[in-house]
Amino acid sequence: MVSRDEIKHLGWLSRLELTEEEISKYTLQIEEIIGYLDKLDSISLSEIEPVRSRKNISELRKDRIEPFKGDPLEGSKNRKDGFIKGPRLS
Amino acid sequence: MASEIKIGLEIHCQLTYLKSKLFCPCYSDYRFKSPNSNICPICSGLPGTLPLLNQSALEHACLLSISLGCKIPNEIIFYRKNYFYPDLPKNFQLTQYNAYGITSIGIDGKLEYDTGTTKHARIRRTQLEEDPGRLVYENNSMDNSFYTLIDYNRAGVSLVEIVTEPDFIAPKDVRIFLNKITSIVEHLRICDTRLEGAVRCDANVSIGEGRRVEIKNIGSFKEVEKALSYEITRQKTMSAREIEIKAETRHWDEARKITKQARGKETEEDYRYFPEPDIPTIVLDNSFLLALERNMPELPDQRRRRFITNYELGDHVSQVLIDNKELSDFFESAIAIYPAPKAIANWIVSDLIKFINANNHYQSERNDEGSTSISGLRIEAKHIAELAKLVDQDIISRTTAKGLINQMIKTGEMPSHLVQKTNASKIDDQNIILDAIETVFKDERSAVNDARQNSKATNFLLGKIMHLTKGKADPKIALDLINKKLIDST
Amino acid sequence: MVNLCSLTAEQIVKGIINEEFSAEEYISQILERIEKIDDKVNAFVIVDNSGALEKARLIDKKVRNGEDEKDIGSLAGVAVGVKDNICTRGLRTTCASKMLQDYVPPYDATVVRKLKDDGAIVVGKLNLDEFAMGSTTEFSMYGSTHNPWNTTFVPGGSSGGSGASVAASECAISLGSDTGGSVRCPASFCSVVGLKPTYGHVSRFGLISYANSLEQVGPMGKTVSDVVMVMNSISGIDNNDQTTVDNDIPKYTIKRNGNIRVGLLKEMVEGAEPEISKCIYSAMDLFSSLDCECEEISMKSIEYALASYYTIAMAESSSNLARYDNIRYGFDLSSDSYEWNAYFAKVRSNFGEEVKRRIIAGSYVLSSGYYGKYYLKAQKVRTILKQEITSLFKTFDVLIGPTMPVLPFKFGEKIDDPLKMYMVDINTVIANLTGIPAISIPAGFSKKLPIGLQIMAGEFQEQMLFNAAFLFESTANIQRSPEL
Repeated sequence: MVSRDEIKHLGWLSRLELTEEEISKYTLQIEEIIGYLDKLDSISLSEIEPVRSRKNISELRKDRIEPFKGDPLEGSKNRKDGFIKGPRLS
Repeated sequence: MASEIKIGLEIHCQLTYLKSKLFCPCYSDYRFKSPNSNICPICSGLPGTLPLLNQSALEHACLLSISLGCKIPNEIIFYRKNYFYPDLPKNFQLTQYNAYGITSIGIDGKLEYDTGTTKHARIRRTQLEEDPGRLVYENNSMDNSFYTLIDYNRAGVSLVEIVTEPDFIAPKDVRIFLNKITSIVEHLRICDTRLEGAVRCDANVSIGEGRRVEIKNIGSFKEVEKALSYEITRQKTMSAREIEIKAETRHWDEARKITKQARGKETEEDYRYFPEPDIPTIVLDNSFLLALERNMPELPDQRRRRFITNYELGDHVSQVLIDNKELSDFFESAIAIYPAPKAIANWIVSDLIKFINANNHYQSERNDEGSTSISGLRIEAKHIAELAKLVDQDIISRTTAKGLINQMIKTGEMPSHLVQKTNASKIDDQNIILDAIETVFKDERSAVNDARQNSKATNFLLGKIMHLTKGKADPKIALDLINKKLIDST
Repeated sequence: MVNLCSLTAEQIVKGIINEEFSAEEYISQILERIEKIDDKVNAFVIVDNSGALEKARLIDKKVRNGEDEKDIGSLAGVAVGVKDNICTRGLRTTCASKMLQDYVPPYDATVVRKLKDDGAIVVGKLNLDEFAMGSTTEFSMYGSTHNPWNTTFVPGGSSGGSGASVAASECAISLGSDTGGSVRCPASFCSVVGLKPTYGHVSRFGLISYANSLEQVGPMGKTVSDVVMVMNSISGIDNNDQTTVDNDIPKYTIKRNGNIRVGLLKEMVEGAEPEISKCIYSAMDLFSSLDCECEEISMKSIEYALASYYTIAMAESSSNLARYDNIRYGFDLSSDSYEWNAYFAKVRSNFGEEVKRRIIAGSYVLSSGYYGKYYLKAQKVRTILKQEITSLFKTFDVLIGPTMPVLPFKFGEKIDDPLKMYMVDINTVIANLTGIPAISIPAGFSKKLPIGLQIMAGEFQEQMLFNAAFLFESTANIQRSPEL
């Protein structure tokens, strides 16, 4: 059972402002979706290891410097003295 | 026990000796650069970018794990810690997590430390993670700002986190432990602890049955002992008044020297950890770990034992040297020039140290030589070596030598040079000393009488002679002559 | 004037190198065609007229100077459309979302760089479901793309623009991305060839992440040969993507090879609409007639594939999309007067409905206490699927089935029922979950609507895939251009 409160909380966790209508709609839809995902309950998988690709430590990036040519944040409209200007914290 | 104090630590240590960041090839050295000038698409969190794990970061982290006696798993995995904050370019932090299997770079370690008795603290785990960016506020105050300024220069720099069990029982012990950690990471050459912000420490404290309080925002290792002492007092006071101690996070206010309740919504955030799909599981085969162990730099404990065994240094002296890698490096460079370990160690520990402590502010440039000089002072190993030699060869007295140190620090001139300049060489010409003795014996008749019975008075006379000869007289010879004259004139 | 637009990439390169026509001529025709018909198709989000012509002229210059073919490039002059979730330097990249409305990347995706190095010309960015989440391209901020075969029908998704543009001859080849079928679905619905490569075979650097343990950039074209040409350009290990693998594979070739052991996946063909099943059985008969051993087989664990896919995809997307907070890139909304939590929540309310739905569901399955029940379990299901399919590949060289269980449908038909929409992915997700390569090729029509045949092979067995696909394509000869 996916509750309205749960959806509200998840909306907060994901920083998504939701209207009351959206909360209602999503509660129903996600309940249905999770109900479908519960299919996974029907198989026993305790002995199985999850899939992961592997690399040896020697295949990783070597510790070399390669400065980026240019300004990655050039397109940003919110610059102030080089900083990115964001909303206040409190 | 009802009032048993339990302290646990979360230490963050930047891997400052890496050239590049943890997941991108930007400079890892971000200090003093203009805002957002040390970034790339990866560390500024642009869409479509992928983390590129730095091989050397893993190596440095493993060295630390080994030195703390940790077990290193054969497979290492990185996790996403998901939360929103303006200093987090991706709104998740790449870190490590052991709840679904042991995959961080070290667990179950143990580190001994000496507070007079030998104690040990268990290391729960070590992990690698990335540093976030930095936030700057108008008027330096988070509360009064209308906006926040974000600088990503530091975002993505490599951090190793050390988490201990709550095995500490006193703030003083914590201080000693942190000194040891400092020395270890310096000796491993993975962290230059003098750099601003290179080492940070959060702590948690509980007393008896009371709840655990976390203390964050402690600006340096030095502040940890103070913060802990304050907090323990606070909790004890509350306990005595039968006020319940809440489990909470508090911030250390360095200016006011108090802990205060953390502001804002600090509800248990659900971090929704899951393994980072863009970084494969890293396999650390046994040959890699063996090679790492074989090539480990000498650790502080080993070095201290070597100082005691090979150089016959005392416990206290060797501890002082070991606590500061710069000092022990300096010491070994000096004795390489002039092999008088005990003397040189004493010069450093008794005399030089007060100059170092006075000058102990954070340096911006790393002292990569690490061995022949001490940052901030103009004195080098060769200075102390020569000083010891001059004293050994009886060219100057110890007193004179002490005086020379002052000069050397200021000008960086070699002692032999200074000696020449000020004609500071010892007077061993007996006649000159005899003259001085004559004068003193005439002036201090009662002391002379006392001296015939009481050796303390002899020292008084010696002191007068040293004063008269401006410290240049050889005290041994002078004392000899004084005693002779005392006997003679009975 | 020869209609250059309907030429394959292979034909274009030959034509330009042999100076039968110039790159500029060709590109001009392409741009003209886009101008003329894209109103009806709506495949393109942005067209780079000046940039494309400039590149074309450079190619022509090289040809005139008699430069070596190798230096002019294996894809010299070929018009390519790039799905708008793949970064193109200096060219706006939006993921069909308000959250990236104004974003201009400062770097090229590796696949784009490689194509450009080989002489291909990016003519524009192609429409998609927002952040690649969808199967019909209906979830785009730019409105849906229309199926060139019948414009009241969906083109498939999420790479709808990539499929439609190739089908409508607006470009010769295109790049899409495939997370759960997003290249193969539009390939099937638009009757073109679309490949999802083996996971780790093509760099994802510059592909804006939706579900990073599942997705790959995939080429689309009118012929298997064209797709092979693109694969030879874009595949290979990349230092900018640590999930790519070095596999020392020689360049792919086109050859007519019989003797392929073909397995028909029972569950897939039985779960499809009757006309589709019929078409696929015919396809199997065709293979049989070409000296291939064919057999119908069952794969039990397919039942769990879709649940596993959506668990993982939604979970990963909820995290991958966290960075869109409008602080560094996005759209114009000042943060003045906002507290940061409120600002983040406000700007992120501008995600589309489907995206928000997946973010919330994804956060749900990752949230405290649920990790073992959903995400971990879903990852374990992948292991089982992998084990089962690997053992099947001991007996068979390729596994075939219908790409889609349904024919292309009309706009709005499934949009109100999320779960109904998700069900159309049922045949395609298995390749993403197991990492194996899979291709969709035109197999026939029903009611004038395209049917696609899906062929899967073992990990890094793309050559086998191409062999089977080319064998079918060269024999079956399915019509390839709608009347637009």
